Amino acid sequence: MPESTDNAPAVELTDITKRFGDVVANDGVDFSLRRGSVHAVVGENGAGKTTLMKVLYGLYDPDEGTVTVDGEPRTFESPRDAIDAGVGMIHQHFQLVDTMTVLQNIVLGHEPSKNGLVDDREARERVREICDAYGFSVDEHLDADVEDLGLGVQQHVEIVKSLYRGAETLIFDEPTAVLTPQEVEGLFDVMDALTDDGRSLVFITHKLDEAMTAADEITVLRDGSAVGTVDADETSRNELARMMVGREVLFDAEPRELSPGDVALSVDGVCADDERGIRQVDDVSFAVREGEILGVAGVEGNGQRELIETITGMRGAERGVVALFGDDITELSRRERIESGIAYVPGDRTREGLVQEYSLVKNALLGNQTVEPFADGAFLDWRAITDHADAIVEEYDVRPADADATAESLSGGNQQKFVVGRELERNPSLLVAAHPTRGVDIGSIEFIHERLREMRDEGVAVVLVSSKLDEVKRLSDRTAVMYEGEFVDVVDPGDVTEEELGLMMAGQSLDDPDTVALDAGGDA
Amino acid sequence: MSDAGASHVRAALDRIVDRMLRASVLERIVIAIVSTTLALVIGAGIVALSGYDAVEFVYSLVYGAVGELSNVAFTLRQSTMLILAGVAVAVAFRAGVLNIGVQGQFVVGGFAATLAILFLTPLLPANTVAGVVLMVVAGGAAVAAGGAYGALPGLMKAYAGANEVITTIMLNFIASGVVYFLLDAYLRPPGAAAPNTESFPDYVDLPGFAFGSPSFSVIGFGIALVTVAVVYVYMTQTGSGYDLVTSGYQEPAAKYSGVDPNRMIVRTMTLSGMIAGLAGALFAVMILGYYSDPNTFPTFGFDAIAVSLLAANNPLGVIPAGLLFGGLDAGGQYIGFTLDVPSELVDGVIGLIVLFVAAPELFRAAGRYTGLGGDAG
Repeated sequence: MPESTDNAPAVELTDITKRFGDVVANDGVDFSLRRGSVHAVVGENGAGKTTLMKVLYGLYDPDEGTVTVDGEPRTFESPRDAIDAGVGMIHQHFQLVDTMTVLQNIVLGHEPSKNGLVDDREARERVREICDAYGFSVDEHLDADVEDLGLGVQQHVEIVKSLYRGAETLIFDEPTAVLTPQEVEGLFDVMDALTDDGRSLVFITHKLDEAMTAADEITVLRDGSAVGTVDADETSRNELARMMVGREVLFDAEPRELSPGDVALSVDGVCADDERGIRQVDDVSFAVREGEILGVAGVEGNGQRELIETITGMRGAERGVVALFGDDITELSRRERIESGIAYVPGDRTREGLVQEYSLVKNALLGNQTVEPFADGAFLDWRAITDHADAIVEEYDVRPADADATAESLSGGNQQKFVVGRELERNPSLLVAAHPTRGVDIGSIEFIHERLREMRDEGVAVVLVSSKLDEVKRLSDRTAVMYEGEFVDVVDPGDVTEEELGLMMAGQSLDDPDTVALDAGGDA
Repeated sequence: MSDAGASHVRAALDRIVDRMLRASVLERIVIAIVSTTLALVIGAGIVALSGYDAVEFVYSLVYGAVGELSNVAFTLRQSTMLILAGVAVAVAFRAGVLNIGVQGQFVVGGFAATLAILFLTPLLPANTVAGVVLMVVAGGAAVAAGGAYGALPGLMKAYAGANEVITTIMLNFIASGVVYFLLDAYLRPPGAAAPNTESFPDYVDLPGFAFGSPSFSVIGFGIALVTVAVVYVYMTQTGSGYDLVTSGYQEPAAKYSGVDPNRMIVRTMTLSGMIAGLAGALFAVMILGYYSDPNTFPTFGFDAIAVSLLAANNPLGVIPAGLLFGGLDAGGQYIGFTLDVPSELVDGVIGLIVLFVAAPELFRAAGRYTGLGGDAG
């Protein structure tokens, strides 16, 4: 629906203020999106990025300020109005009906009809046109249920859905959080194609590298205010980080002398299957010592999840032995393993790590039901649990700093900080952490990394799974690379480049670069 | 202009919904009383339109529930059963297990209590102490039998993947059928016309105290209240209760926290069945004084589902919800005896009252659905 002059910004937000009770989420924010460009909005968790975009998308009513689309002032009562004005949003948590097909999801609410019935042929035709125009492969899956698709494809479905509804301006809310590195590349290509076609994009992220790669302009938010808008070509990572955090940020940590102790965890010949009975972990063996971080790198879906679940007791091993300080724990239940000192930051914080409708106090108990001092025999000590929750909120800078808030009212990054805090403060002897900084802002990443190192120095054995190569490289004392259920190799992270790690993640062993490694690795 | 108007309307709606969502307990009680009154007014209108005396109808409904001591006793008697069965339902629903089989577990529990009393009576002296012993043993037998009968569909769901809604419904029929057969074939006294067991001895009964009614005892009502309190403390103050409630909210998180989902299902169904069994024992001892064809019993186990839902599956909420249903039941039955109003009309008006009382809950659901009521969520 672009009918106005080309010079007007596609979207302009002027002096937006939005309060929730006493909290000012946006404080007089100005934001202008140039037509045909990508404009990144960066900031820490809770800086007000998502609130600002929800104002634009009609989900929130601003307390002050105006929204102008195509040069015309608008008041959006609901997303429906925003969609009608040509503004679409790709949410961080996809708004798709899992049990419906891709086609049904795309046309939902905007079905083309003929004689009062949905015109299936017309719908398919229009979706195909969109897919062809931007090179999506979504049209190959039109009749598949959404729940059967990977997250990358689901995101494409979301984008196609917005385009189908005529969106000229698209808001991407943390779109890369759930994607593999390859999928991120693909997304950036899609974003290029969209801007080439004259569409305007807002890209919300807290990953500075991505903002600098994909955006033309970058606006930094801090504590609800816009700190400034810079040209992506003329800024640096350090400048952005300083703007975001309000101080200098150290990106490199000093290496440390290795002095690991006894073997804490040993995994011997373990095999594990996924829910459908397909082998995901195939004869993996390794050991982790006290005071050592073993990083597990790999493209998601190569068995990392199943591997750590067999260690933490979420999943049974089909074969092999898992031992903690020499004791066979293969047959122990999840609860017994918690009690024996295994802490676990799960990869899926929203479903597993937190009960969304519980307060943070109740969530502080999750996993601690049988652990002193929170449980005294059969009964719970809510006083101790509340103190614990307050301590986590305080120390891990969870915002809003209110332990009575429900988990679902927190942003993803703050949820993550709470889960990490709970698990790290368990005084474990073994910590298994999957993507511990996923969705977390830079300042907090620094803090979580620092805590992980401290725990290691205190003698905790750590298994760290992450899809962020730099995180694995920076934190781990040894790095294992997992590919199709096997360890390709275990290397010293100082001896390999990120490119070499990347090759290994694609299944190539460094010793034998031309062939895919078939033998199970593990030199521990 | 219309934009501004619409946003005013929306803002006003937001405030109202907000208010409803945050209503305190006291406000909720006020809301419930106002809704009941409103529903009675509308119900009276319908009765009048149907050509009956609306004033007499409303008067009889209230009089039948609380008009005189024996009516209060009847209300409390029905409430006792509804509260106990309601807690049985609430425990399961809170854990995310849909136990529709409370009626069956109730029937089996009552039958177990009956067997215990009938078989042990000849072995004990005929005095009050023996009566107390018999009732305690009968209660224990009922709890055990109800729990076992509840565990059955729990096991089928946990280890064979059988949907508990279907299995518990079917087990209701099986319970009634089998109990009727056993009763008819083995426990009916020779020459008796009705399929009833022999009456329990006089000393096997709960005293009525102030109410003087043969089928209601304050002790029975007290047992229901104590059960509610125990379940409430269990859910909020114990690790095991936290496991149960967490399983209902979010099973993957419960599993992550160390709950074995299969064992939790069996444990939940057992607990639910135990409470239903206790209700059965009270029914046999306090209300009947013998045991009879379960197909003729009131459907406390089914009505309890509505009680539990009205209470949002909160054990404490089951008390007012059970009292309301008990009162409406008593009042409705009284109208049936005294007035010439079709029972369908009576049920319709009672349904209207329940609907209105449930309206705050509906309001909440609607608020969540439309996203009205503050946008913090």
